Amino acid sequence: MDKFSLYAGQFLSFREHFAPKGHNACAGCGVALAVRHVYKALDGKVDDIEKASWQIPWEQNLIVGSDTGAQPALLTISKGDNGEMLQICFDNEAMGKKNDTSVIAKKLPAVAAASGYQYAATACPSHPFDLIDKVRKAWEAEGSAFILVLCPCPVAWGFEPENTVQIGRLAVETRTFPLYEIASGYYSITIDEQNARPVRDYLARQDRFAAVKGKKAEALQAEINNAFAALKDKSKINA
Amino acid sequence: MSVKTFKQEKVGCNLLEAGKAQPFVPGTKPELQPVWDKDLCVRCALCYLYCPDAAISRQEDEYFDVDDKLCTGCGICHRECWFGAISMQEVD
Repeated sequence: MDKFSLYAGQFLSFREHFAPKGHNACAGCGVALAVRHVYKALDGKVDDIEKASWQIPWEQNLIVGSDTGAQPALLTISKGDNGEMLQICFDNEAMGKKNDTSVIAKKLPAVAAASGYQYAATACPSHPFDLIDKVRKAWEAEGSAFILVLCPCPVAWGFEPENTVQIGRLAVETRTFPLYEIASGYYSITIDEQNARPVRDYLARQDRFAAVKGKKAEALQAEINNAFAALKDKSKINA
Repeated sequence: MSVKTFKQEKVGCNLLEAGKAQPFVPGTKPELQPVWDKDLCVRCALCYLYCPDAAISRQEDEYFDVDDKLCTGCGICHRECWFGAISMQEVD
């Protein structure tokens, strides 16, 4: 056995749920990538993951116009006997209008934590091991759990399909979509970049934010900084 | 007897014949598909990890290859390869 015969992907389940039947998503679909990793994380834990109930199926969410009002896909798996469940929301921000930056602020994990969910987190398929770790933690948490997954969409966001993972990574590095978890009320930031990139890097790569520049971009930057500082304050309680 | 269309069938019936429906074929027959340069590949499996279509799998010689039927030609593997071992080339 030479030193290259072991790679990190070997620690994941080898079962591919998309092979051989495939899916009907577009090229470079972030939702498909996220669903693939979630299925991999839950393989062997849930009896038959493909028969899990999709309250809003992810295939339905794929074909989007800019103003069809498509809802994000929602996967619900019941665990335990007392009605506890694991809910994973695949948010591809396809319901936002063009140049509308209000989609960036995410309140769902905080709302879930406030309404009694034992575990709430945000995740992005550009950090697959972080995503898989969170899904496993959510499955093992005692009460209900919620995960919000940001899925870049090349069609609705307006970038080349090959950049899906890069855009996801930019969203995390510019702190537009910080990766954190709320375990039984305690916040902790899981991916904390020391030197955050300016948000204009993230905006400039996408057609949907073509008109967000200058003062608007600065206002958005201030908003993001405030939100991250608030998140940092909350996570200090834990430390 | 002429073939009925679905509008002429009663509500709640079973359609026994497929008509013009065809089986679903995954993938969109991309123009470009990834090709691995085995001299540069270090078998890190980043391409396998980031493929949204689960088209990339490990071969017997421990290198990676693509399933033509599943690949949509998005180019994420080409973009994410740290060593530049994957190039997108036209398929025959």
